[in-house]
Amino acid sequence: MIRQILIICLMLIPFFSLFLRIPTVETESVTAMANTVGLTVILSGVNVWLSMTFAWWLLWTESRWRNALEWLVFLPLFIPMLATLFGLYLILAESGLIGTYVGVMISLLVVTLPYSIRLASNGMAVIGRPLLEQARLLPFKRRILFVLFPLFSRTMRTIALFTTVILLSQFALIQLIGAGLIPTVTTELYQSYAGNNRNLALSNTWMLILIPVLIYFLLSVMSRWTVRILKGRLQ
Amino acid sequence: MLRSNVALTIIVSLLPLASLIFLGMEALGTDWGALFTDETWRDSLFITLYVVGISTFLSLVIGTWLARVVVQKRWRFTSAILRIPMFVPHIAAAYLFWLLFSGGGIGWVEANERNYMTVILTYIWKETPFVFLMMLGTYEQLNRGYVEMAKTLQLSRFDQFKHAEFPFLIKPLLDSTWILIAFVSFAYEIPALLGVTYPKLLGVLAYERLSTGLYLEATEPYAVALIWTCLVGMGVLVSYILTSSIRRRIERGVRR
Repeated sequence: MIRQILIICLMLIPFFSLFLRIPTVETESVTAMANTVGLTVILSGVNVWLSMTFAWWLLWTESRWRNALEWLVFLPLFIPMLATLFGLYLILAESGLIGTYVGVMISLLVVTLPYSIRLASNGMAVIGRPLLEQARLLPFKRRILFVLFPLFSRTMRTIALFTTVILLSQFALIQLIGAGLIPTVTTELYQSYAGNNRNLALSNTWMLILIPVLIYFLLSVMSRWTVRILKGRLQ
Repeated sequence: MLRSNVALTIIVSLLPLASLIFLGMEALGTDWGALFTDETWRDSLFITLYVVGISTFLSLVIGTWLARVVVQKRWRFTSAILRIPMFVPHIAAAYLFWLLFSGGGIGWVEANERNYMTVILTYIWKETPFVFLMMLGTYEQLNRGYVEMAKTLQLSRFDQFKHAEFPFLIKPLLDSTWILIAFVSFAYEIPALLGVTYPKLLGVLAYERLSTGLYLEATEPYAVALIWTCLVGMGVLVSYILTSSIRRRIERGVRR
């Protein structure tokens, strides 16, 4: 029991610093907030869609390229993120996408997709082929709506959450690819971290921690509500 | 629809590899002699190896130990609490530790000091839950029969772990090790906030040289990024080749 309490305390100790000072409530840039929310929603949606379909393909394919492609999609996990970012900077500069939303979106997708595919394929492996076999007989839309969504809503929620956390962690990526033209909550907050206003920085930290928590609860409620409606329809 | 999505995923996954080719092309003009003798880069490499080595090793040990204990003792609540740091953005985690250790610090640890203790502690706090989750799945599926047999043979605790548990942990441990090394070794946000002006970690130095007006024409950051990626890539390749036979044997055994 004592060991358990000690472990929990050690994990929670850093959060105590949130209460050491009183955070200042200051209105942040509306553009930064809108950019962050927009990027989070689009990026989470694209991540969920691409990772779930790729994991589904991996589960059923008989292709001889299966192992090679599986390695290919997981390989970016072993490439240092900043090295990928430097290379992407060169590619996107050639294509004239530096300082654009599309450029930032592509680089964020490159960084987040390997993690999402890993989560999705782990989730599908747990359910296994025998149980999912029956779903293959259903038409595409019904399969997604009545089988895959209810079964994998928790995995999808985790993917969305991971995507949000990775996005909120990125200062260097958004600053370099966005060329300082695309402000997000993180790039704005970094300025306050670098400055001396501790109270403002603290309120920003609160925001960075609360955004994933809010998204988690929002998605939980939404998925429960949708699954309940779907179950009602089936009855 | 499925095929076009798969094709799109493959194209996105090819981008990091394409970016390495671009890095290589850009690094062609680098004065390699000057780069290898540059004291700033050399000091940066040593401090990076030190930070990566300690934080990765401790995260792996603590994460594995926690997964083992949580499964053995069935600590569900602790298991839930252990996941929390994963959902805190790195930059926010860095600031939490900065607040905790700045202004006198706790004991001998202080924010922004040359030993990078706060950077190491932040990485351990953030990455231990990742290792814990990677190991948890393996420990939950581990066949207890092997451990029971090791106990019956009256092996020491260390030998029980070595023969009945460790072989099954090799794959997740390898995956976690290289993901952590790739992530921690060339990152910006945490060491930039908690580090010192000299020596800087490789990622911070490279990013600052790339983005500062003073160095905009320099190819050195690209060259360093490429060398570091090649080193990590070689490490991944060698470690996977060296352990391939044992991993294959374990996988066959598990399937049976």
